[in-house]
Amino acid sequence: MTDFYIVWKNLTRKPLRLFLTLFATFIAFTIYGTITAFQVAWDSGVNLAADDRLVTVNKINFTQPLPVSYVNKVRAVKGVAAVTQMNWFGGYFQDPRKQLVMMAVDAPSFLEVYDQVVLTPKEQEAWIQDRQGLIAGEAVARTYGWKVGDHIPVNSNIFSQKDGRTAWDFTIDGIFKGKTPQTDTNSVYFHYKYFNETKSFGKDYIGFLGIRTTDPKLNEQVIKTVDDMFANTPFETQTVPEKVFNKGFIEQIGNIRLILTSVVGAAFFIILVIVGNSMVLAIRERTGEIAVMKTLGFQSGRLFRMILSESMMLALLGGGLGLSAATGLTWLITSKMPQMPPLLMTHSIVLQSLGFMLAMGLLTGIIPAVNALRLNIITAFSRQ
Amino acid sequence: MKLLSQIWVVIVMNIRSLPQRLWMSLAAILAVTVVVAVLLSFLSMANGFAKTLEGTGSNDIAIVTRGGSQSELNSVLSRHAVNAVSVAPGVAKTADGQPYYSAELYVVVNAIKKSSGTKVNIPLRGIDPIGFTLRDHVKITAGRMFQPGKNEIIVGQKVLGQFSGFELGKEVKFGKSRWTVVGIFSTGGTAFESELWADARTVQSQFRRGDSYQTMRIKLTTPGDLSGIEKAIKADPTLNLDVKTEAQYFAEQGQALKNIVRVGWAISIVMSLGALAGALNTMFTSVASRSKEIATLRAIGFSNVSAFFGTLAESVVLSVLGGLVGALMSYLFMDGMTTSTLGASFTQVIFTFELSPALFEKGIILALLIGVIGGFFPAWRAARLPVVVAFRNAS
Repeated sequence: MTDFYIVWKNLTRKPLRLFLTLFATFIAFTIYGTITAFQVAWDSGVNLAADDRLVTVNKINFTQPLPVSYVNKVRAVKGVAAVTQMNWFGGYFQDPRKQLVMMAVDAPSFLEVYDQVVLTPKEQEAWIQDRQGLIAGEAVARTYGWKVGDHIPVNSNIFSQKDGRTAWDFTIDGIFKGKTPQTDTNSVYFHYKYFNETKSFGKDYIGFLGIRTTDPKLNEQVIKTVDDMFANTPFETQTVPEKVFNKGFIEQIGNIRLILTSVVGAAFFIILVIVGNSMVLAIRERTGEIAVMKTLGFQSGRLFRMILSESMMLALLGGGLGLSAATGLTWLITSKMPQMPPLLMTHSIVLQSLGFMLAMGLLTGIIPAVNALRLNIITAFSRQ
Repeated sequence: MKLLSQIWVVIVMNIRSLPQRLWMSLAAILAVTVVVAVLLSFLSMANGFAKTLEGTGSNDIAIVTRGGSQSELNSVLSRHAVNAVSVAPGVAKTADGQPYYSAELYVVVNAIKKSSGTKVNIPLRGIDPIGFTLRDHVKITAGRMFQPGKNEIIVGQKVLGQFSGFELGKEVKFGKSRWTVVGIFSTGGTAFESELWADARTVQSQFRRGDSYQTMRIKLTTPGDLSGIEKAIKADPTLNLDVKTEAQYFAEQGQALKNIVRVGWAISIVMSLGALAGALNTMFTSVASRSKEIATLRAIGFSNVSAFFGTLAESVVLSVLGGLVGALMSYLFMDGMTTSTLGASFTQVIFTFELSPALFEKGIILALLIGVIGGFFPAWRAARLPVVVAFRNAS
């Protein structure tokens, strides 16, 4: 009879209680896994940002325009490998309440700067050749059931054509993939030229510039040169690394991290209380047995380890199940809701969870284990 | 009658013996506390946001935007459109017989949020001086109104608390243009207090908007009646415009956080399953520890119904207690907390968490549900406990 066998028998002696405590642990780790995957996806805009990419926006605010002539002026700056322009389109497909992340871009330079957009050479060529062509990310294409070759109208809630229509006609020339599984492919790109020639106002203005530097070490220098070049003009600029821009953008929504962390904290607190309490109770019920084992010559340290192993097993079992459920849930969300950024159960989430499971096992087991360690045989028997 | 008094006796007995099962009972209470506090925090956030925006719109003001533009930010109106709509039937007249409306611009500028020190979008609204009177309860609380033609802004009261650099007398730079804060205004806590206001024509020239506007606010002769304006828009083929009452417009914007409500419910329901496991655990333990007592009562003639309700009541009392503490916590720590988030017009809307009685009720109902379900099965067991076995086990 090994110690493991005793621990297992102790753990499973009250199946109902085991089930309930396992279930509570399971719930907490399901919440933890899902929310952390969400948080990682949420932060991916910042974490996946390229170090050699900069964003130049109007200094007043990034919704204010810049002249299109800035593109060529920036291209000449030393340290700039490539530069492209982008313009928010305010596009929607059929349902005005569902905004598309849709930008008017200069195709060749866009693909040069933003290498996370992956097209086949054939698609790439078709798009560059086709004035009314657009490329859509896998996620968007899945949401709307678009296929290469489809002709679709897309409306803008900002711009209108010269003839008054707010719908533009497009052909889907490519459906792009992300460079990594985390890359959010929830965006659509089309030609600035088509946009500029047809829109009724704001001709020759763009939203912002995307810059790729030859070396991240030159970022500071490029930022200074670009912003100095346009200082004291009617359109002053502010250039920042992509990471900083994305972070600022996300922070406009609020302190999401604080909300998510609080929720996870609350979930863990609940199970700590529930499981911790049941462990104390379970061991207290066994006071007599522990006293008998001590009498039989079981060392205090051995009993201490056995009780801790029991709480650890409980935490690992419940946590493991919860983590599996979270993996299933994130997979389900990602496949059923393409409009959400891809949720991935990364190695670091799994490792962190394991850490939390061990901590949980330790915290819930330590009090009863210490009690067992200190248990005086005589008082234990006299209490019976 | 006899049964009722039996039940009552058992309930009182169970509740009075709670301190004997202190730790398990506390665990059940705490779990429900946390669930209710989490739920109410999410709900009071969404509620505060919706209330701020719903309270902003007035039913006797019409708001005109370009067709399909959804928000003021995306809209563009030509001088022609503004003039054409201003003479439509249903537009009220000012004392001197002019159409009573304000053509406005909505420019997004940068501000620094105090709580995070980061740059955020806030709206600079260009208004006709008469537009000032188109807002309910509007008044200058410090300084004075801006002068038309000058680079002067007045600042919403809530802006001062959330964003830095807009104090009275300060100079503010938007790109190359410099503006002076000459006044602070309040509108009774509505979303307008998240804005900066300046003279529309000055904003047009400083931000190179030519003679275009973005939205139009019109005083209606009959509150809620848009038919005259709608007809005029339809009759003119050069106009592609949407018209809504301001109340409608802001009520729609207030829905922006409705996903937060869904997320809040989803998380709370999953969490309450965890709390339910805790409640069941506590109650089964309670039944086990009281089995001798239950058996004794049965032996002296108490019915099993009283054992059932006694246990159920204990569970409900614990959960509701937890629910009340959770609601109290979210009231103490969340209610009245002011923060801002990105609204539909892509600018910060400053709002205050608001825990309403209706939300409080929802929290307590959730607690009650956990208590009833968490008590039912253990109560069932208590009711069916064979007297002989109970005595044997308890000894």
